[in-house]
Amino acid sequence: MKRSTFYLMLSAMIPIAIILCAATLLLAAAKVGDPAPAFTATASDGKTYKLGDYHGKYVVLEWHNNGCPYVGKQYNSGNMQKLQKQWTSKGVVWFTILSSAPGKQGFVTASDENAYIAKMQAAPTAALLDPSGEIGHLYDAKTSPQMVVINPQGVVIYDGAIDDKPTTDLADVPGATNYVSLALEQSMAGKSVATPATRPYGCSVKYSDSSR
Amino acid sequence: MRLTCVTGRKSQAAFRRAVILSAAVLAVCSTRAHAAGAPIPHGTLELIAEKQWIAAGHPFNLALRFELEKGWHIYWVNPGDSGEPPRVTWDLPAGIKAGAIEWPAPRRLGTPTIVDYGYEDAVTLVVPMHADATLSSQNAAQIAANVKVLVCREMCIPGKAQVSLTLPVKLQPPPASAQSTQFFTEARKAWPRPVPASWKFAIAQTSDSFVLTANLGHKITDVTFFPLAESQVSNASPQTLVPTATGFTLTLRKSDQLLKPIARLKGILVLSGEQPYSIDVPIAKPGGAAGAISSKQMRDQSIPE
Repeated sequence: MKRSTFYLMLSAMIPIAIILCAATLLLAAAKVGDPAPAFTATASDGKTYKLGDYHGKYVVLEWHNNGCPYVGKQYNSGNMQKLQKQWTSKGVVWFTILSSAPGKQGFVTASDENAYIAKMQAAPTAALLDPSGEIGHLYDAKTSPQMVVINPQGVVIYDGAIDDKPTTDLADVPGATNYVSLALEQSMAGKSVATPATRPYGCSVKYSDSSR
Repeated sequence: MRLTCVTGRKSQAAFRRAVILSAAVLAVCSTRAHAAGAPIPHGTLELIAEKQWIAAGHPFNLALRFELEKGWHIYWVNPGDSGEPPRVTWDLPAGIKAGAIEWPAPRRLGTPTIVDYGYEDAVTLVVPMHADATLSSQNAAQIAANVKVLVCREMCIPGKAQVSLTLPVKLQPPPASAQSTQFFTEARKAWPRPVPASWKFAIAQTSDSFVLTANLGHKITDVTFFPLAESQVSNASPQTLVPTATGFTLTLRKSDQLLKPIARLKGILVLSGEQPYSIDVPIAKPGGAAGAISSKQMRDQSIPE
């Protein structure tokens, strides 16, 4: 094969490969009832967390963006911190996930995030830094605060909104039905989750423009 | 408006023109009953009445006019993947009731993976109002709209505004006012309209998609469907169009949040170069005989490009 032909073929294959990769990512997005896609991430505490290490435990994923008013509603009311404390005290692993790309709203360094956690008295197991958006895309996370619950068998049992009040009003927190708590309570009681998927209201996840 | 005092023949003509112009501007302003725009994040909101007064026993229209800075948007009744629609609570005198917002056709906004439905630049939301026949003409009607609106570009800012109007109440219907009629006529142009009776629609479904087949009597090469309800259609998935000799088929991926079967699909259909249309189409059961179309039949119906 002539070298020029080889390069021509190679250059033709690159876009095809990109399309295939994108398609694979699209197909791989987690759905309720499917095994939760595996990931490994560095957290703001400097440690590495692997989803697979938590087999046998419930895991909650919380998409976060500190500039988003829907996230602000949950943190300024203290509701998110309360949920984190309530469920981690029962052995649930809680990962806050930061999928904002550098330069976008909600992008934070490890020390920014640690300062935020301290200031807000947040209590996740860890805050995972995902500036490439890899974990976000793996779960097809659309919004902050989108919530995912994974059961001890590693299956997604809830994916969607934090509650049934899709607003930015702090006043709506007390009367809301919290879907994450419901999913955890029902599953722990051996029942099936009554509302396993909802529209994950909030701000769009601020992915990198080139990540897809 | 600032008018500079001028002298001389030439400037007199200019002055006269300016007076006529400002009179015209005033006339335009006064025929449309409205309050000054209230600030919302990166924009303004105005409450506008179509007519100069309310007539007891006659319906009337109000409009919420949102004007936004370039690049900012607000949301349709189904906001899509993120965001939320504007919400209005009314302060109304006894005997006046607000109807449901008439939502104009939205646009697809967002990124390839997160798609929202909304309005950029400006939008007019018309609200039909009811006035009781027993309404007294003794008191002018004080009407206020308390609006919560999420305004987004790269980021989202929630805003609140109260806009209000005082309209006289009379027994006689008000005259049609040319300016307001034009403003409301423009707003109505963006409303989805009923489809012509000769157009036929059917929806078949597979486990992961709805397939909308349209027979309009002519070929269609560009279609966008906006689902009226959330969590029925996957917003970010491409809508796959296959033009046919008499219309098209459009494949819409089901939302991952659609956990129970639905009987009908409602939404707005925007065809290239035409007005938006409202559709409300029954969905055939999977594998059911009526309306169900196999992929082979679909291929047979489609014609090669």
